[in-house]
Amino acid sequence: MIQEIKIAGFGGQGVILAGEILGKAATIYDGKFATLTHSYGPEARGGACGAQIIISDEKIAYPYVIRPDILVVMSQEAYEKYVPELKKGGLLILEQELVSPGNNPDIKTFSIPATRMAEELGSRIVLNIVMLGFLTAISRIASYDGMAGAIRETVPKGMEYININAFDKGYQFGLGQVKQAFANGK
Amino acid sequence: MKYVTKLLKGNEAIGEGAILAGCRYYFGYPITPQNEIPEYMSRNLPAVGGTFVQSESELAAINLVMGAAAAGGRAMTSSSSPGVSLMQEGISYMAGMEVPAVVVNVVRGGPGLGGIGPAQSDYFQATKGGGHGDYFTLCLAPSTAQEMLDLTILAFDIADRYRCVTIILADGLLGQMAESVEVPLDYKPREYKKDWIMDGCKGRPPRIVRSLFLDPAELEKHNFHLSEKYREICKKEVRFERFKTRDADIVLVAYGTSARICKAVVEMARADGLKLGLLRPVTLYPFPEKEIRKTAERAKALLVVELSMGQMVQDVKRAVGDACPVLFKGRTGGMVFTPEEVYQSVKKIKIKDEG
Repeated sequence: MIQEIKIAGFGGQGVILAGEILGKAATIYDGKFATLTHSYGPEARGGACGAQIIISDEKIAYPYVIRPDILVVMSQEAYEKYVPELKKGGLLILEQELVSPGNNPDIKTFSIPATRMAEELGSRIVLNIVMLGFLTAISRIASYDGMAGAIRETVPKGMEYININAFDKGYQFGLGQVKQAFANGK
Repeated sequence: MKYVTKLLKGNEAIGEGAILAGCRYYFGYPITPQNEIPEYMSRNLPAVGGTFVQSESELAAINLVMGAAAAGGRAMTSSSSPGVSLMQEGISYMAGMEVPAVVVNVVRGGPGLGGIGPAQSDYFQATKGGGHGDYFTLCLAPSTAQEMLDLTILAFDIADRYRCVTIILADGLLGQMAESVEVPLDYKPREYKKDWIMDGCKGRPPRIVRSLFLDPAELEKHNFHLSEKYREICKKEVRFERFKTRDADIVLVAYGTSARICKAVVEMARADGLKLGLLRPVTLYPFPEKEIRKTAERAKALLVVELSMGQMVQDVKRAVGDACPVLFKGRTGGMVFTPEEVYQSVKKIKIKDEG
């Protein structure tokens, strides 16, 4: 099983860090193989920015994402740019208040107000971790424990609690959405 | 040996490998796409009692390496293409002086300042000497983050064993991509007897480490000696990987980033029932000539795949002679082919059936 994931937004949202945490969870905790490559625009903050992760049960030869199975977008610009690449039947995960999606009948779409939820937790900068929790609940791309472990070892000392909390908030929100989708027969 | 799994960028894996190998002296000048190496060394060398210096230029960096290595330390520098060009004088001097060191080139597109995308266009420089004079540098070509670590350790051992400069030829993709790496926990670096180093001559006759030989007869003798050493390296240090070549009609020849893309191509072709294989040189100097010749004698065609306009292909052609046709597929300037693109080139190859 090989899955291609793209996480994109603008600089400052913690896009690259989110990719790194997902990569660590997959390799160090879940025992899979992963490659992580990234791209960003000329500006550090505010420019377009993307992380590409491939997760596989076997060694990965070609490390770039060609057609993502999962696309996580946190800006309208990233949405416009990457949605055409998404695989048919793929999974689209949105920052609800930053992206207004068009009509994508072939794609499963889930959205979360991650920035607002992060603000309610007391720190806007954990929005990427809220997104990761949401992604984990919906896609099962990595294990809960693996993600939590990767977050603990990656975030600055003293910031573990708020980040794990943010992850869990996103995760629970995701579980709710999945249940609802099932109830609606999606 | 115990290992711990880490998610490392290729550049960080080189740093990790260097420190494991006992490198305690790093000198360098910043340039993309290799900045994670000095970053890593500046963070981690002081903790093991090492020295990190960000020099004022690439010339200073290579000469600092020369000094530290001549005093017996394991020393390394890293740069990317234009920076490595600036270091060629020092590398030639070290080859003449027989001072061992490791030089990492995380290649970017050229010529000149070029760009910062991954390329393999420094093959000639890395494998044919690079600077002036009768010398070669040993050249290792990693293809994964794991090999960035493993081959860095090997590079220090080979450098000490032969008193030569060893080049690690990577590229921007291998340097900046993160991958899982098994890092040995209790690795003990190999020790080499160094009875030639400048470590203070109190109580013994002084030693001279030099590359200046004004007497032509003496210089010729010295060059004969170097040449003998390179012959030994060519005999003993050839390394390569074969991937599904046993029954292959067409064999791809590629190293580094191109080789990992080619592995994906081989899998695609095999799934379609096409007999495709890959021969991957791990050492570019010494070049696996005999292996390539043997492969060519069995195969119907070779396709050399490089991120350049065709450099290694010249060595492949020389090794193959008229044993089978040698074709070439290249991208340049930082552009990287997709597996599909290389596969299309494979499918266009027309094989003549005997009989």
